[in-house]
Amino acid sequence: MHMEFNVSFSGLISQFLVGLSRAMILFIVSSGLSFILGVLRVPNVAHGSLYMIGAFTAHTLAMAAGGGVAGFWLAILVAPLVVALISLVAERLLFCHLYEREHLMLLLFTFALTLILGDLTKMTWGADYRSLVAPPFLQGSVSVLGTPFPKYNLFLLAVGPVVAVGLWLFSNKTKVGKIARAAAVDREMVGAIGINVSWVFAFAFVLGCFLAGLGGALVSPTVSITLGMDHTIIIEAFLIVTIGGLGNMWGAMAGSLIFGVSQSIGVLLWPQFAIVFPYMAVVIILTLKPTGLLKSVW
Amino acid sequence: MKKERISWIGLLLFFAGCALAALLPSPAAARDIKVGIVDTYSGPAAVFGNDALNGFKLAVNEINKQGVLGGKIVFTTRDEQFKVDIALNMAKELVLKEDVDVLVGTINSGASMAISEAVAKKEKIPFIVWTAKSENITGKAGHRYVFSTAENTAMAGKSAAVAFAQKPYKKFWIAGDDYEYGHAIADAVWRNLKKIKPEVEVIGKTWWKPGEPDLIPYLTAIQAAKPDCIIFATGGLSMANVLKAMKATGMENKFPAWIHTATDHSVLKPLGMNAPEGVMGTIQYHYYYPDLAANKKFVKDFQAAYGNPPGFPAFNAYTTAYFIAEAFRQAGKIDKEKFIDTLEGLKVDTPVGKVEMRACDHQAVYPMFLGTTKISKEFGGAISSDIVTLRGAEVMPTCEEIAEARKQK
Repeated sequence: MHMEFNVSFSGLISQFLVGLSRAMILFIVSSGLSFILGVLRVPNVAHGSLYMIGAFTAHTLAMAAGGGVAGFWLAILVAPLVVALISLVAERLLFCHLYEREHLMLLLFTFALTLILGDLTKMTWGADYRSLVAPPFLQGSVSVLGTPFPKYNLFLLAVGPVVAVGLWLFSNKTKVGKIARAAAVDREMVGAIGINVSWVFAFAFVLGCFLAGLGGALVSPTVSITLGMDHTIIIEAFLIVTIGGLGNMWGAMAGSLIFGVSQSIGVLLWPQFAIVFPYMAVVIILTLKPTGLLKSVW
Repeated sequence: MKKERISWIGLLLFFAGCALAALLPSPAAARDIKVGIVDTYSGPAAVFGNDALNGFKLAVNEINKQGVLGGKIVFTTRDEQFKVDIALNMAKELVLKEDVDVLVGTINSGASMAISEAVAKKEKIPFIVWTAKSENITGKAGHRYVFSTAENTAMAGKSAAVAFAQKPYKKFWIAGDDYEYGHAIADAVWRNLKKIKPEVEVIGKTWWKPGEPDLIPYLTAIQAAKPDCIIFATGGLSMANVLKAMKATGMENKFPAWIHTATDHSVLKPLGMNAPEGVMGTIQYHYYYPDLAANKKFVKDFQAAYGNPPGFPAFNAYTTAYFIAEAFRQAGKIDKEKFIDTLEGLKVDTPVGKVEMRACDHQAVYPMFLGTTKISKEFGGAISSDIVTLRGAEVMPTCEEIAEARKQK
């Protein structure tokens, strides 16, 4: 079979935008993971499960509100809060006793948690596929340079930067954010000057998990909500955090953009081998810069 | 003190129970038929695994009212988690430890091929594949011990080719899941279409990993290449995602597309009124078509027991149970070789009429329903419309072709 590269400029632009919008979801999820890694030093494998629970909760909330526009907004805004609440319980009951343990132990613990949360999700929601419907004004597509572009992806393109700026403001302009950042660098010192580190940690954990839930809620109009969503996202999120620099929020942003855009452009240029593009990007970056693109807080 | 007494009572009861069990007249030769089920009960494919299990349970409950050879059909399940290695271990365990008489399952084509080769053939255990659709299972990799009660990629591919041949499309794009099923179905459509209409050409191919959540980047890239028609070689979860992405990228009604089982209600139901219209699909079972009394009864009983209408896996599994029961009844005893001999060419009643287990390749003969998705207010979502029925004989490879394929292997 002959290969034909039928790539137009407008096709490339539209594909780039699709990649960017996908990167926004990746950023929201992986920045949460990175935040928890940075402040708490916990490689939270269960982050993907919270993303999945966020999506299922969003669907349930939207249905409970009778679907429609109100249901959609309720789902997007409240589902992450539900996930945050679940994570608060998990933090106070489980995680807060484990911060001092070694990483392998934490990895095993959070992995066990993914299995438990996975089964709980199955028991609560069952195995059926679910689908959240975007409100009418976000359905269908608009024309970008003559190529159709999904409206919902435009919405994601707007939401991503809002979340990024919000996170930046939080960690640089608020007291809690500053303490959290300080704790990421030197937690003994933060404790030594009399700050209740336990609650700072709880807050950081809950915020990170809130972002997982938000990612899950935001992604649900573009995919099917199913069991197993957790596995796919957690692998991608860890790769992103690793190439971006552990615990660095802008690193998560850079990693997400590279991952999302290399995937979408790869799909356009060489569709038969599209799967490998983002992973190739990861390999190249880690070969050139093993500590990740930006400064790691570890 | 009190604790001790309780444990004494427990022990006494246990011995009494044992004595009673020994005294009861055991029905001499009439033992139960043990069926070992390996299927996916976790992850995205669990929805199909559960549906099949429900169909099987319903049939077994009906069958056990009369019993088979004086005994019952009993079954035990194992979750293979959609993984080939796990499936293989579980199938071995069911055969060696649980001593099952028949193995059935799974939804994973790769796993089914592995069990067929490494367990069924080696241990001489009949294995009936009920959801996996790779034509290789009963095609070139077929043998005495493997059967299929699922429709397969050859049948679906031929149906699609027949449909495409009547349309003016020339430039095709093939996109799908990068694993056994995806490649098998893409190959089957193309092989058949090229035979009927030699002037068609593939202008590009896209392969994504099975279960890839967000297919929008893939679909926008395909749109940019402007094919006349798209063949989606995908199943299960990816298909739901394809349909969703088609809607989001505005491809419905603009780009003709075909996906095997796109007209399946387990895929269309979650999308509700937002399912894309005009997508061509093929499938061997609809709970609403054909409108036969037996099908209505099956759907009613299934709905009453499990709260939702049966999907194609439930139908396949229901049919499988009747094949197992009837083959053992006609064999006259629980004997694996005899079971295979009687199952070859056996016809059983199913909700959609008689279904034959073709003797030459051990493939159940089903008609294929070719239809197009259409929103129905009555169903609260999309259903298959303008259904054209292709008879089993029209869409299955001939016995000679099967023999040839097996020889080449």
